[in-house]
Amino acid sequence: MIRALGAFGLSVARLTGALALVLGRTALSLPSLDRRELMRSVVIFGFRSLPLALMAAMLIGSTVVLQAGVYAVKFGARLYTGWAAGYALTREFGPLLLGLVMAARIGARNAAELALLNINGQIEGLRGISLDPFRLLVAPRVVGSAIAITSLGSVTFLVAVCFEAISSYYSLGLPLRVFFNAFDEMLRVGDLIGGLAKTLAFGLAIALVSTVAGLRARGGAVGVGQASASAVVLSCAAIFSLDLLLTPFLTRLFS
Amino acid sequence: MSALLRIFGAPAILFVRTLAAIRRDGVNPRATMVQVVEMGSKSSLLILSGLAFFGAVMVTIAWAQARKYTGNITVVGPAYFELMVREFAPLLVAVLAASRVGASTSAELAAMSVNEQLEALELCAADPVSELVSPRLLASIISLPALMVIGTIAATTSASLVVTFAFGADGSAFTDARLLDPADIVCALVKAVCCGVFIPLAAAARGLKAKGGAPAVGEAVTAAVVDATMGCLLIDFVVAAAFLLIGV
Amino acid sequence: MSAGAASIGVASSQPSRLDGSAARLSCERVTVRFGPVVALHEVTVTIEPGAQVLVTGQAASGKTTWLKCLAGLQRPTSGQVRWGADDVATLTVEERRRRQSAFGMVFQSDALFDSLTVLDNVMLPLTRRGVPRGEAQERASGVLRRVGLEAAHHKRPESLSGGMKKRAGVARAIVAQPSVLLADDPFAGLDPDTERSIAELLLEVSAGRTLVAALPDPVASLPLPRVLRFEHGRLLDEAGLR
Repeated sequence: MIRALGAFGLSVARLTGALALVLGRTALSLPSLDRRELMRSVVIFGFRSLPLALMAAMLIGSTVVLQAGVYAVKFGARLYTGWAAGYALTREFGPLLLGLVMAARIGARNAAELALLNINGQIEGLRGISLDPFRLLVAPRVVGSAIAITSLGSVTFLVAVCFEAISSYYSLGLPLRVFFNAFDEMLRVGDLIGGLAKTLAFGLAIALVSTVAGLRARGGAVGVGQASASAVVLSCAAIFSLDLLLTPFLTRLFS
Repeated sequence: MSALLRIFGAPAILFVRTLAAIRRDGVNPRATMVQVVEMGSKSSLLILSGLAFFGAVMVTIAWAQARKYTGNITVVGPAYFELMVREFAPLLVAVLAASRVGASTSAELAAMSVNEQLEALELCAADPVSELVSPRLLASIISLPALMVIGTIAATTSASLVVTFAFGADGSAFTDARLLDPADIVCALVKAVCCGVFIPLAAAARGLKAKGGAPAVGEAVTAAVVDATMGCLLIDFVVAAAFLLIGV
Repeated sequence: MSAGAASIGVASSQPSRLDGSAARLSCERVTVRFGPVVALHEVTVTIEPGAQVLVTGQAASGKTTWLKCLAGLQRPTSGQVRWGADDVATLTVEERRRRQSAFGMVFQSDALFDSLTVLDNVMLPLTRRGVPRGEAQERASGVLRRVGLEAAHHKRPESLSGGMKKRAGVARAIVAQPSVLLADDPFAGLDPDTERSIAELLLEVSAGRTLVAALPDPVASLPLPRVLRFEHGRLLDEAGLR
């Protein structure tokens, strides 16, 4: 029991250390980021994930209305559906569910790619010819996927809100104008910024965690599988933890 | 439409094959138990902490808004509890299980496929589907409802604790089952079972198909988790809509 | 596994026969496609019982796919694979699985199960076919002795060297006394000395059976009478019936 706890503590410490190292070295190499690699990761992680993000947005928007709208009707607050759905979406469900989907799409992918480079000795190889793998490979990915997730986040919110309006129209018979009136009157820019701040934090966490998972990979096909699986799981854990830490802070800041 | 087919097509075919394999070979109860323990032990910590955090976050948000507009947070307690049981907890537990179970299942099966172990199994007179997929399918159908119960309890407990201790209001309102009826629980269970069927099939379909070395494993895991997550979101939406339509 | 599989076909100590009479293997215009990639293109070959065949060709020339087609592990996109008189595609799953006991395959990646010991790996083909555990253990130990791995019984495959893994793979392939032994690139990643010893082992254990071995190039240590050459999924020619 004590040994298991000790091993757990040790692995947490190791993980935290690795995260701090990757974060620190990424920050250090920010001024001299490899542009091409940065563009590549923005395109691969961001642009190529757009269809998935849009599909997720449609689903999230419609689901939130389906779940919350029913209660709005029950409590005679049909007119406030726009507010409730919009608020729930920007503040919690949008960032959270988008983060979880992106943990799968971007986190697993990034970890798998880095794990492959690592296992094939390409990262060591760069070091061997005195090139900094962090500047060339790691930092651009971290920055690129953070940018990608945040911009996907804003598009997602927009699309999801539209789908909320549409599905309130169909399921609750709520005119679009009423939805957007409530949305407009009771939501502030701060709510939107709060949601985007969360998305940025989740994106950064996914990028860091998956990078660490990829760089730690050892040993062939099994290693690649384990790296991408643990990237997904650790990203999910990070997202929920950050959500808990950020929410009280953001509610105070923007309410 | 093509996206739907991509997410549900291969798992549906594998589902039929798995049912045939179960009819032919039965299911090894020991292997199923091993998978139940595996899924439970690997996912319960993630789901427990994730849902506990989520419960706390939701009441924080509700509190901030309630302060502005109604002044009293406890009035939303019973509705919050019903929503949590019926909608939020099943959705989040399914998505988390999709990540956790989907990732590990696809990683394991993809590595086996790439290392030709599936074919080796076949030449050992063992059918890969009845050997690897049937126990996982059964285990997941058993595990998901259990995980959902755990997740719901975690979210509700943390919500009422936060309300009591952080906001100084009556937290027991958030465990008030006044609005809860059997239909809510049935709705939650249907979601859990459907996702329990879907997750291992989506992951196994991607894993068993992996061919061509370590890169294929990475791709299989990425695709599997995306499929599993999106599929669960979709299943959740469809079940919620169906229950709304029949009006319970 | 299940009762169903256990009751099917008990492996005897005699080499398993494909259908009791002729163990002739034949492919007729076999084509395999993986999406847009054509792995095999209209390959037609017949292998008589007891033949010793070498298949050569570069990486991705279709050798592995063809071996897997022969063993019924890969379903052709078009064309037929026949075991004796029967088209493999028309067999039921149970029937195919039962008759697959006539095949032993040494995989390129060894495909040993890391969660099992070497002995358990080698016992697997027997226990899965309903051979009692005691007898299976005895026969597996015998085969392990024959391939020179008696000291490694209880080790895990991951702790073995490349040559020892290959030996374990050979042991698992022959333990159920198959009538056809398939070896997919058995010398990949081995040094010349180990290569020679594995070649000797393959020749020794394949005595009296059909042997089909795939290699990138013909080697002196494995002189087989019939050589098939593959390129880009096509069977080029039969080089020299020596």
